[in-house]
Amino acid sequence: MKITILNGDLETKKSDFSDYIEELVKQFQVNNHIVDVFHLKKMELSYCHGCWNCWWKNPGLCSTKDDAEIIFKSYINSDFVIFASPLYVGFTSSSLKKISDRLIVLLHPYIEIRNKESHHTKRYKNYPDFGLLIKEEDDTDKEDIQILNDIYDRFAINFHCEKRYLKSVNLNTEKEIVNASCNI
Amino acid sequence: MQVVIFNGSPRRKISNTKLLINSFLLGYKKATDTKVPVYYIASFNKKEEMLNAYKNAKVVIIFFPLYTDMMPGIVKEFFEDISKFKNYERKKIGFVVQSGFPEAYQSIFVEKYLEKLAKRLKLNYVGTVIKGGVEGIKIMPAWMTKELFANFTDLGEYFAKNNEFDDKINRKLRKPYRMSKIKRILFSIFSKTGLTNFYWNGNLKRNKAYEKRYNRPYAQK
Ligand SMILES: Cc1cc2nc3c(=O)[nH]c(=O)nc-3n(C[C@H](O)[C@H](O)[C@H](O)COP(=O)(O)O)c2cc1C
Repeated sequence: MKITILNGDLETKKSDFSDYIEELVKQFQVNNHIVDVFHLKKMELSYCHGCWNCWWKNPGLCSTKDDAEIIFKSYINSDFVIFASPLYVGFTSSSLKKISDRLIVLLHPYIEIRNKESHHTKRYKNYPDFGLLIKEEDDTDKEDIQILNDIYDRFAINFHCEKRYLKSVNLNTEKEIVNASCNI
Repeated sequence: MQVVIFNGSPRRKISNTKLLINSFLLGYKKATDTKVPVYYIASFNKKEEMLNAYKNAKVVIIFFPLYTDMMPGIVKEFFEDISKFKNYERKKIGFVVQSGFPEAYQSIFVEKYLEKLAKRLKLNYVGTVIKGGVEGIKIMPAWMTKELFANFTDLGEYFAKNNEFDDKINRKLRKPYRMSKIKRILFSIFSKTGLTNFYWNGNLKRNKAYEKRYNRPYAQK
């Protein structure tokens, strides 16, 4: 399988979370999977400016020229994606959210009714399912986990895919994440 | 400094958010002479000034567009920044979330997050206003946006008097909450005529990009 990991850790130096991701990558590779891993905070990545150039000027292309293009390519050509991030004030990091906003480039502007709601149609044939890998904060509670689950389920509807799991590095080994990701 | 507004749209001065804030302030000014500063979260060169304004404000209102079912990444960054002031002072905070899709339902998940955020930061939460169907308001004829702007003006006037949102207006703005069956049927009929994509097709054609609308530039297989 081809797997894309978006690491939203805001710490650019050594951290437990990024060490975990490094080990996770090794475990995937041992099992013959191909992994692209991006530590977002270490890359040159802008935020989505909401210009709609990707929808009505150069369809499918983001006009902000930075490191995002390799992420778009990796994402849309993957079999599975992992959104990985420690929680900050109850949600995944701003780095991860900024690139998630820009993934809109992968959708088509046309609107359809899905789930009895308005949503955008597909631009590509297939969209990868994803898993959400978090590190809990000291005060993370059930309500926070529910909010995360709900919002990433919504993301899945918008991005024509399914959320396969929400798991935490506090409770799961790297091996368990590999199994959960490949068991699709 | 009493009330401070933050505009969380990445589009800043050309945002739909700005139009809604303008209407809100129009109403606000009817009730009081107090000036309300507006900061653009996307103006990163003013970050320090912005965080100071947040720190000193008694009442904070954050307006933002819904971005992939949540606040935009830059607004998340702002939340991370202000979380440093956790025990700073007990202040009031309210939010206005507006979205492209018409249903308010699309924004109720971020609303839950916002309520929890206020609790986490020990702020006094005054609620979240939700309004769908906002994309395109800039090009709509005045008769189509008249009611929307009037509602935001009333919302602003009420806020100036009570330091909270008017529940009645908020309920009105949250319509439609979901797509009714009739609307869904009408939508599928109109979609066959191309009417539902009128906004996108108009812009695609204007940019001579209509023929390229199905491009898949990032596909490798
Ligand atoms: C990257 C991006 C993501 C968006 N995601 C959503 C969404 O999930 N649901 C929705 O209803 N509208 C979504 N929208 C539409 C905006 O909320 C809508 O266009 C809004 O009116 C923009 O306001 P602004 O001009 O103040 O930025 C999105 C727009 C962009 C650019």
